[in-house]
Amino acid sequence: MTTTALAARPAPIPGPGARVWRIVRLLTANPWTTVWWPVLILTAIFLMTLSIWGLIRLNVPDVGAEGLPGTQYNGGISWIFVYMLVVAVQAINLSFPLALGYGSTRRAFLLGTGLTFTILAAAYALLLTVGSTLEEATRGWGSGGAFFRPFYFATDAGPLAQWWIYFCWLAFFLFTGVYFAAVFVRWRAVGLTLALLLFAAVVIGAVALLTFTGGWGLVGDAIGTLGTVGSASVMLVPGLVAAAIGYGVLRRATPRA
Amino acid sequence: MSTIVRATGLTKTYGIGGGAVHAVSDASFALEENRIHGLLGRNGAGKTTLMQLLTGQEFATRGTIEVFGERPVENARVLDRVCFIKESQRYPDDFRVRHVLRSAPGFFPEWDADFADELVERFRVPLGRRMKKLSRGQLSAVGVIVGLASRAPLTFFDEPYLGLDAVARQLFYDVLLADYAEHPRTVILSTHLIDEVSNLLEHVLVIDDGRIVIDADADDLRGAAIDVVGARSAVDAFTADREVLHRAGLGGLATATVANLDDAGRKAARDAGLELAPVSLQQLVIRTTVGANAGHTNGENE
Repeated sequence: MTTTALAARPAPIPGPGARVWRIVRLLTANPWTTVWWPVLILTAIFLMTLSIWGLIRLNVPDVGAEGLPGTQYNGGISWIFVYMLVVAVQAINLSFPLALGYGSTRRAFLLGTGLTFTILAAAYALLLTVGSTLEEATRGWGSGGAFFRPFYFATDAGPLAQWWIYFCWLAFFLFTGVYFAAVFVRWRAVGLTLALLLFAAVVIGAVALLTFTGGWGLVGDAIGTLGTVGSASVMLVPGLVAAAIGYGVLRRATPRA
Repeated sequence: MSTIVRATGLTKTYGIGGGAVHAVSDASFALEENRIHGLLGRNGAGKTTLMQLLTGQEFATRGTIEVFGERPVENARVLDRVCFIKESQRYPDDFRVRHVLRSAPGFFPEWDADFADELVERFRVPLGRRMKKLSRGQLSAVGVIVGLASRAPLTFFDEPYLGLDAVARQLFYDVLLADYAEHPRTVILSTHLIDEVSNLLEHVLVIDDGRIVIDADADDLRGAAIDVVGARSAVDAFTADREVLHRAGLGGLATATVANLDDAGRKAARDAGLELAPVSLQQLVIRTTVGANAGHTNGENE
């Protein structure tokens, strides 16, 4: 008896690109969770915010040059970043066992997931940039408000820079999600709890270090120097580190019932 | 015939020290291409772990596995030819049946979409229903449909009969045989419902407590043992110097399952006034895996 050689079978063999792309198709097979719901919720929050600003304006007859007081700070679009983290964790946790059942390698699954998240970040960043551009053009929707352009995301360096800021932040949250999802898939709830404790310890450690060394001023200076574009770009580093750790963790994970 | 799967000294242990669980212990076997293999055993015997090892989903503690001549772990050349929808397969929460059928074709170069559509209709699977809301039988049907339509050169069916009604069971049986004849491929069918699949199988692996206890062609197995029935004294006399797998008795009557009874032996039994009855694959497996402890269906044990 001889062992069948792979080449002996005439079946078409998908290339590496196809093996990655089909993971993108798998993760977006039902586009509601990853695409339509976030857009709908964003639209709803935006419309509600506009209505509230409208109500306030009815009672504040004189809108100064600074716009309505208090409309420059709101969490209107912040939720979408946190939502991306949840999307990342859910997508990996639930699609990983099916992808392996379909005969994907972990490597192709992770590359496909990374590609999907990059595309999602780019697309949402584009959507937010369109909103931001309109917001600028209409002087804050006529109220001087900042829905898409709160000071920590806004830049005056043009739409491309604005898109980059959104993209970096979205990518940071999505790729951080890869890390937590990988830990959960491999070590379930116990692993996730330990990972969160470790994460908290690192954050507290960093805060303590900065406090004891009086380094907060330096951080403030750095953020000031970097500006919103530079700060967002810096976030890509921890995002990519988290994704790389997640990749290493998931490479040895087994789908469990 | 060529070998498509070869395991040597395959072992998977969970945990360490005294609490370690040996899910698969020192399993060595070879499976030939383009046959229907049965992987039989009780719940918790190690069937799923073994299949996860063969598909690179689980990592072996010891031993080697070759699938299509290569290690399966993280090997796209092997895994591209494998379809393994588990009995307990998890699907994304927001998936409906149609999303499964939409996402699967990209993974199987030989996917037959028309065949999948036909099967959806014949198994009466509701395309628009969420996977979470499917009944056990519908869930099994989705796994069966993906497995059949994938035409993967190495297809696993994990407990395909679970929850299926009689019509659907017959349908799976007929469709698998018809499609297999037209598109030969290697099928590994795991189940604890042995009677349901015994006529499908060409080769049988029985796993018990992590060990391979039977590795034989189904035809050989069907003739491997026979029940000898008659008066207790006659049965005892006949079996005195023969290999008996199992004994049971009720009053003055006794049944003995005798292994490897040749033509002369059969004639001797008939001459002694004993009746011969075939042993089903299921009975053979039960008697092999639990030996003399499992005779309750035939009355009191001896």
